[in-house]
Amino acid sequence: MLQMESGLFTATIMIYVAAMILFFLFIAFKREGLARVAIFVQAAGLVIHTAALICRGIGAGRLPMTNQYEFATSFAWGLSLVSLIFILRFKFPMLGAFAIPVTILIIGYAAMQSKEVRELMPSLRSSWLGVHVSTAIIAYGAFGISFVLGIIFLLREKMRDSEFWNRHVPSRDKLDLISYRSVCLGLLFLSFTMITGAIWAEQAWGSYWSWDPKETWSLVTWLVYAVYLHLRIRRGWRGKAAAIFAVIGFICVLFTYVGVNTFLPGIHSYA
Amino acid sequence: MQKRLKRIGGFFSSMRFGIALLVVLAAACALGSFLPQGYALDWYLNRYPARTAALIYGLGLDDVFHSLWFLVLAVVLCCNLLLCNLLHLPGVIRRWKNAGDPAAVPECPEVSLDGVPSPKEVFTRMHLPAPREAERDGRKMLFSAKSRIGVWGAWVCHLGIFLLIVGFILGQATKTEYTVYGVPGQTKQIEGTDLSVTIDAFDIDHTENGSVQQYTTRLTMHRGAEAQSGTARVNAPASLFGYRVYQNSTGSAAKLTVTMDGNVQQEEVVCVGESVSVLQTPLVLTLEAYEEEYYDAGNGQKLPGFAYSTSYMGQVDRAGVQVAGDTALRYGSVEISFSEPQNYTLLQIKRDRYTPLVLLGGLVTLLGLLLAFYLQPSRVWALETEGGGWTVCGAGPRGNAFFADLLREAAGKTPENREKQEESR
Ligand code: HEM
Repeated sequence: MLQMESGLFTATIMIYVAAMILFFLFIAFKREGLARVAIFVQAAGLVIHTAALICRGIGAGRLPMTNQYEFATSFAWGLSLVSLIFILRFKFPMLGAFAIPVTILIIGYAAMQSKEVRELMPSLRSSWLGVHVSTAIIAYGAFGISFVLGIIFLLREKMRDSEFWNRHVPSRDKLDLISYRSVCLGLLFLSFTMITGAIWAEQAWGSYWSWDPKETWSLVTWLVYAVYLHLRIRRGWRGKAAAIFAVIGFICVLFTYVGVNTFLPGIHSYA
Repeated sequence: MQKRLKRIGGFFSSMRFGIALLVVLAAACALGSFLPQGYALDWYLNRYPARTAALIYGLGLDDVFHSLWFLVLAVVLCCNLLLCNLLHLPGVIRRWKNAGDPAAVPECPEVSLDGVPSPKEVFTRMHLPAPREAERDGRKMLFSAKSRIGVWGAWVCHLGIFLLIVGFILGQATKTEYTVYGVPGQTKQIEGTDLSVTIDAFDIDHTENGSVQQYTTRLTMHRGAEAQSGTARVNAPASLFGYRVYQNSTGSAAKLTVTMDGNVQQEEVVCVGESVSVLQTPLVLTLEAYEEEYYDAGNGQKLPGFAYSTSYMGQVDRAGVQVAGDTALRYGSVEISFSEPQNYTLLQIKRDRYTPLVLLGGLVTLLGLLLAFYLQPSRVWALETEGGGWTVCGAGPRGNAFFADLLREAAGKTPENREKQEESR
């Protein structure tokens, strides 16, 4: 099963790279048909990716969400899923061209991690693991999309005169709204992650909040996005400022995910 | 003076102040995660220049999350949230009422419904409930609204955060926490309470591959003549006498035997790290460590080793390792030895009466976010024109740039932006 997973994982990377090339060709040749094929290829990649995760789960005899490799590949899966939803929901294939390189970067990071299947320590043998980590994956995926949208927003200003951009990228108002919606989705799921994590921590460690670096940084990320929401309301921070904020927010997300594990080990160090 | 007070009150309840608090809290959390926490002043002096170390210590940055200023920040945030919610309550109620009131619709651009067979069709296309009839400026009106409840989203979310922080602060201030360790058969008094704990059994389950699957302690808690029994496992604490008992960790222990002239004088189980007085003399023996495969006895047989140290009247006396079956120490006719290695269980016993409040706060916050983000109210109303035709207007969720398009599409028109694009082409 694990061997099959390894093959599917490699296939996923290759298919995502193919989708990325197709998205780039769509921009280069301005052919809408290419965008449709790229979306289809990405969807196929997502199916293979899902199969790889299922094989990993069966091979390891548990949910594939417990070490750096598993979490990174799940994170990439979440980003791919959320980006496809947003592409289809908002009829916005250009989003794919910007989201898929980020997905490939994250799955590439996964490929560099050890794929060894280790037995879980008793505290990780909990049904909360699935809820806690899968909500984190959706949250990170959604924040990833708001980051990508922030970048598209900033580029859109520069491409104001491009007819292709005007046709294929929503108006600035709508881009801003889609980015806001993805932050909302991310914040809701991050809150879910933090609450389920707290319930689990109370059962496993006897304390629902221990100021462990991972907890602390997820709180920092949560606060940063809460500030983003309020600045939107209070100061009408839309558009450029909001886009820059979405980029900063995602840097916090990445720090919570990679930076904390690398620089600030704590009780979450296994994640 | 009153004006000034009002202005100060206004500032403390304002969103501007709230945002500033959130930023400061985020910065404090980041600082607390980067600066090593909980060390003594000497440690910081060794690591940083004297002035920096003094600053860290003086400002309580060595323990940010338990410092007074952090607590003050949290309390101020609570007050800010509470005041903000109180001040906004009438406005929220008004918006909630208005969201379902045909008389309270704002002025909006009207979209004609030429191509739509019946004005009611628009409401179906917009996934709104069947419209009710009303009147506006003498014109016939059809009105429908949905997700009025969403008006409460931010308010409920703030209430949740308020409850969560209050529960957290009260919990920190009042919670009690004890640690008990021992081997099956031992009864330990919980210091500072009238409770004692008997460890009835301690099991370690392994998987087929030999790694640990679960630690389980069966225990009985006594208060006077009353007793309650339970089982504590990792991820499944026991609840006894209002306390939660957590399976925290485990370690090695061994039986200590002291004989004099061959007769057993003292026999007890000692856990690694634990010290005991030998025959009630000033000689104190500590079991420092236990290693299962310490000594190679040949023929592939490995014997365990018990590392120990002794002190006499506070002065370190001896240290060594006793291989299983040997004697550790001899003092004249007194012989001291370790045997029967076993595992002890370490339990954490806690009581935090405010945990349910924190949980409630968390759930209310989630509910608020859900309402604020996914149940924003929208209203659509159709107005009859003088010629007997209809126009439609709508007010969507705050800042929803797509709502106007949806409405135009429901009215059988091209969305505005596509229209513009086509024009520009
Ligand atoms: C602690 C973290 C906080 C969170 C997670 C939070 C959450 C929210 C959310 C989700 C909204 C709705 C936003 C939207 O619809 O786009 C909101 C609105 C608002 N927040 Fe907060 N909030 C927080 C703290 C504060 C604080 C400290 C204040 C200070 C007064 C505040 C004042 C407001 C106000 C006035 C609104 C607009 C209310 C409305 O439109 O009905 N918030 N907040």
